[in-house]
Amino acid sequence: MVTGGSGAGTKFFGPAAQTARLMLYGLLAIVLMAMDQRGHYVDAFRNQVAYLTEPVYHVVEWPVRAMRNLFGQMQSHRSLRQENSDLREALLGQKGSLQRLETLNEENRRLRALIEGAQGQAFDYQFAELVRVDLDPFSHKVMVDRGSGDGVEVGQAVIDGAGVMGQVEEVHLHFSTIRLISDPNHALPVQINRTGLRTVAFGSGVTGALLMPSVPRQADVREGDLVVTSGLGDRFPGGYPVATITSINRGKGQTFVTVEATPLAALDRGREVLLINAPAKEVPATQVPTVEKEEQALPDEKEAGGDET
Amino acid sequence: MITRRDRPGTFLLTLAVAIVLTLLYLPPVLDAFRPYWVALILIYWCLETQGMINLGKAFIIGLLLDLLGGSLLGLHALSLVILVYLVTRFRARLRFFPPWQQALSVFALLLNDRIILLWIISLRGDPLPSLGFWLPPIVGTLLWPWLFLMLDWVRASVRRRASS
Repeated sequence: MVTGGSGAGTKFFGPAAQTARLMLYGLLAIVLMAMDQRGHYVDAFRNQVAYLTEPVYHVVEWPVRAMRNLFGQMQSHRSLRQENSDLREALLGQKGSLQRLETLNEENRRLRALIEGAQGQAFDYQFAELVRVDLDPFSHKVMVDRGSGDGVEVGQAVIDGAGVMGQVEEVHLHFSTIRLISDPNHALPVQINRTGLRTVAFGSGVTGALLMPSVPRQADVREGDLVVTSGLGDRFPGGYPVATITSINRGKGQTFVTVEATPLAALDRGREVLLINAPAKEVPATQVPTVEKEEQALPDEKEAGGDET
Repeated sequence: MITRRDRPGTFLLTLAVAIVLTLLYLPPVLDAFRPYWVALILIYWCLETQGMINLGKAFIIGLLLDLLGGSLLGLHALSLVILVYLVTRFRARLRFFPPWQQALSVFALLLNDRIILLWIISLRGDPLPSLGFWLPPIVGTLLWPWLFLMLDWVRASVRRRASS
């Protein structure tokens, strides 16, 4: 028999014993991978170990932070002033459009009250910064510097200035990891803004593309259409921009077209994000009495709960 | 050349540096070129010391890498165990190869590792990665001679300090 192998192993050093040990460890690794992939058996373990890994992230991030501080100090007074005035201008512009938004919001609420009584909600945002650590490129995760100490919860939606980024997957004390919408195992309930057609956007494994494999052939979809969250699935609040449609593949003899879209959020190069604090249990804002199109819309809308591996 | 036993401290130091280099933030353009640092370090220590790295240690280091990098638990463990197995198996031969031949065998090892990774990716049902997937072994091979010299130098200076 082979010993556990953690000892120096001078006694069993023959090639046969070595091969047996390789088999043993290989098998162990494969079992672990299957457990990680199939169920969430190892999540508890990961959470435990987070106390050990957190300091490592701080060490790794330190040089990047130092560099940034250094550059910040080297920036000249004039360029700062320039930036300041630019920002002020941008802020003014945004304020202008926000004023209109406010009235629109009010109008929207009144109309909604007329129709059904489902009300739009106001959301709270929490600012967070990405931790400058490169995780495994195939993991489709990023880390932010807010954790359970700041009230972050699993499942919170994460957006950046341009669109939806992903959702919080693990929460530790001072940081949490976010599953990006580009993960092939991630499904996001969306609707096409122009027509209201609902579907599900899956990650493609590449940060630059999302896939919507279940859009009916006769549906009205065009390149350049804006895709927003639909609010179904109770995880992402409705109405946030997600992506723009880049290509539509109408293959012959297929019931569904495959639509490809480019995410609006800077999934691989953003720096600041917002965590959305959803108010407790309310009807999602976008459950508008529906367009008839929806009948044909989606076979698998039910499974679009949010993530799930 | 090596008469005295190396201290594990030197190994741990180089391993720590390799892990930091693995996680260190790089602009997305450079990110694709990041070599598999931990594998390179392990190959070096396997070649140069007898019995310091065994499969158990490789497994644990791999797990650590998985936990830190957020990859599938066991992915790097498997890859490093296979790598260390191959290096210890052919150690006697690899050690006396001329540098360029050694670099070529390092390339073969890293390429083999990528193929294993590709196998796991396809088992998971993820889409196949782009051509950039094959860059790290090439970068690793090009770095290998310099890394080898540098690690030799680090070890020598640690030993000199210890003896003086």
